[in-house]
Amino acid sequence: MTAYNPQWLDALRIREMVAAWRRNEWLGEDKWKNIQAHYPESFYSPNLFVRIGLAFFSLILLSAAMGLLGLFFDPDSETAFAGFCLFVGVLALLFLEFWAIRSARHYGSGVDDMLLYFAIGSIIAGLCMPMPYQTDEVVYYSVAFPFLVLGSVRYLDRVLSAAAFLCGLLICLKIAMQVPNLAIYLLPLTGILFSVAIYLFAREGQRRYNWRFWHRQLALLEWMSIVTLYLSINYWVVQLFAFEALQIENIPLPWFFWVLTFVLPIAYIWAGVQQKDRLMLDTGLGAAAGAVFTFRYFFHVLPWAWAAVIAGAVLFVGAYFSIRYLRSHKGPYTYASEGDKIWLQELEEQLIEQTIASQNPPVPVKKDGFGGGQFGGGGAEGNF
Amino acid sequence: MQHTLRELLEQNLIENQDAERIQSLEQQSPFSLHWELKTLLYLGVILLNIGLGYLIYQNINHIGHVALITLIGGVCAFCMAYAIRHRQPFSRSETESPTPYYDYILLLGCLLFLVLEGYVQYQYNLFGTRYGLATFIPMVLFFGLAYWLDNRGVLSLGITALASWVGITVAPQEILSKNDFSSGAIVYTGVALGAFLSIVPFLSERLNFKKHFSLTYLNFGVHIGMISCLAGMMGLDREIVFFPLLCVAVGFFLWYARTRGSFYFLTVAVVYGYIGFTYLLVNHTASWHFDFMFYLLYFFLSCAGVIYFLIHYKRFIKNKQS
Repeated sequence: MTAYNPQWLDALRIREMVAAWRRNEWLGEDKWKNIQAHYPESFYSPNLFVRIGLAFFSLILLSAAMGLLGLFFDPDSETAFAGFCLFVGVLALLFLEFWAIRSARHYGSGVDDMLLYFAIGSIIAGLCMPMPYQTDEVVYYSVAFPFLVLGSVRYLDRVLSAAAFLCGLLICLKIAMQVPNLAIYLLPLTGILFSVAIYLFAREGQRRYNWRFWHRQLALLEWMSIVTLYLSINYWVVQLFAFEALQIENIPLPWFFWVLTFVLPIAYIWAGVQQKDRLMLDTGLGAAAGAVFTFRYFFHVLPWAWAAVIAGAVLFVGAYFSIRYLRSHKGPYTYASEGDKIWLQELEEQLIEQTIASQNPPVPVKKDGFGGGQFGGGGAEGNF
Repeated sequence: MQHTLRELLEQNLIENQDAERIQSLEQQSPFSLHWELKTLLYLGVILLNIGLGYLIYQNINHIGHVALITLIGGVCAFCMAYAIRHRQPFSRSETESPTPYYDYILLLGCLLFLVLEGYVQYQYNLFGTRYGLATFIPMVLFFGLAYWLDNRGVLSLGITALASWVGITVAPQEILSKNDFSSGAIVYTGVALGAFLSIVPFLSERLNFKKHFSLTYLNFGVHIGMISCLAGMMGLDREIVFFPLLCVAVGFFLWYARTRGSFYFLTVAVVYGYIGFTYLLVNHTASWHFDFMFYLLYFFLSCAGVIYFLIHYKRFIKNKQS
C-alpha cells in the first residue's frame, strides 16, 4: 500500500515510542540501545529547516524543469498543454517513486514532498484543463478527489489528506446546495454528518494495528472533523454561508444554532478533560474563543479594547490559579510537562540542534539493492 | 502500544516486568495541561497589552484617563516588582524560572512599560524630537533586565530596541523628512549591526557569560545582516560592496553551522546566498539578451546543485576536515 519501506516505517514508529519511555526513565539505557540496534532504518529524513530549504529549491527546480520540457515539446493548443501537464505529472510521479523513495530513500525530506505535490497538482490540472468553461465546480472537485486520496494513502502525506478532506466536504456541500428549498437546512446537516462520519472513521482507523502507518494522517482527519463539526453549527458561520451561498438573511431555527454555538465548545472541553483527549480539549478551547467572538459580532456589549483587557485578565488569572492548584494537588491532571515535547520546544531544539547532533547516528543497514548508504547517509542524523 | 510491547517481548528486547511496568505507568501517568495553560498565560499577556495599549489612546480626553494611566502604571510596577522580588540569584549561566508564570509577568511588565512610554511621549512630548532617547531608555532597561533576570524573551525586546535606536540615530533626518528607507546610512548600519550581533555570542562564550543567549543574538544577526546586504545590492545598486559582504556573511554562517551542527543557520545562509547570487546574475545578464532557456537552465542546474549540497552537507564537511 505504501511506497515507503514498511520495515523502516515500523522501526521509526517503535523507536519513537520507546524513546518516550526512555525519556520518562521507564526503561533502562542498555535496553534502549538494544532496541535501537534491533530496529535499524536508513531513511533520509533531514532536520525541519533543511526540509524547508530542500522543498523551496525543489519547487524552483521542478518549475524550471517543466519550463525546459515545455520549450522542447512546445504544446501549442489547450489540449496539447493538458496532455503536457499530464505527462509532466506522471514523470514527476515516476521520479518520486523510483528515484526519491526507492533509490535515494527520502522520507519527508522536502524533495519527496515537493515531487508529490507537483505530480498530483500537474495531473489534476491536466485533467481539468480541457473541461468546458462553464463546468460545475463539483466536477473539478470530483476529478481531484481520487488523486488526493490515493496520493495521501500511498505516500503517507498529511497535506494531501487534509486537501482530500476539504475536497470531499466541498463536494458534499456543493451537492447539498443544489437541492431546491431545502438547501438551507441541508447545508449544516451535511457538514455535521460529514464531520461525524470522518470522525468515526478516523477513530476506528487509529484503533487498527494494520493501519498503523496512517495513524498520523487519521489523527489529523480526526482533528479536522472536530473543527468542521463546530463550524457547521456555529451561528456566525451558518449565517455567513446562508447569505453568501443562498442569499438568505435570516436562517431558520436560530435558537438551535445559538445554543449549539455555546454548548458544543463546553462539551468538547468536558469530553477532552474527561477522556484525557488533548485534541478535543484544545479544539474546545479554540471553539470557546470562537463562541465568544460570535457573540461579540452580533451583540456589541463591550468596546473591543475593554473586551480584550477583561478577557486577557480573566485568562491570565484563570491560568495562574489553575497552575497553582495543579502544582499543589496531585491527581489525574498535572502541570508538569509531559515527555512528549510540544512543537515549539521541538522547533527550539531544531534551532540549536546540539541535543540531536549528539545522539547516536543511525546504524547503516547493509542490504542488497539499497545501495548501502549511497545517498545522504551522514545527513540522516538530523532526525525530525 | 500493546502490539509493540508484545513484539518487543517476543524479540526478547524487554522483559515481562518492563512491559508490565510500562503499561501500568502509562495508565497512571497524569494528563499534562502544561501546554494549554502556558498558551492561556501568553494569550492573556498579549490581550492585556493590546487592550490597554489601545484604551489609553482612545480615552485621552476623557475623565477616566488618569485612572487608566494609574492602572497601567500600577500593573507595570507590580509586574516589575514581582519579577525582582522572585528573581533567582544572579548567575553567569542559565537559570531556571522561579515560578511558572514568572516569564509571562516579566514580559507583561516590559510590554506595558513600552505602552506607558509611548503614551507619555504622545501626550506630553517628553522626549521632544529626540526619538533616539525614547528608544535608548527601553533598550538599556530591557538589556539590563534580560541579563539580570536571565530572560531571553526580554533580550529579544532589547535587541529590537537596539535596532530601532541605532536606526533612528544614524538617519533621523532622512526618515523624517523624505521617508527614505532605502538610504545608504540605514543599510550600512544594518550590516554593521548584523555583524555586531553575530560577534557578541563569541565574546560571551569566551568570557563564559550568558552563553545561552547566543542563539537569540545570532538569529537577529543573520537576518538583519543578510537582509541589509541584499537591500544594498538591490536598493542601492552597490553590488561591488555588498555582494562580497554577503559572501562573507554566508561563509561565516556556513562555518558556524558546520562547527555547531546547526541546520537552521545552514539553510538560512544557503537561501540568502542563493537569492543574492541569482539577483546578481539576472541583473547583469539582462543587457546581454540571453534566451529564456538560459535562465531556465540556470535555475534547473543551480537548484540541483544546492539540493545536492544540502543533502550531502555532511560529506562536504568531512572532505574539508580530512
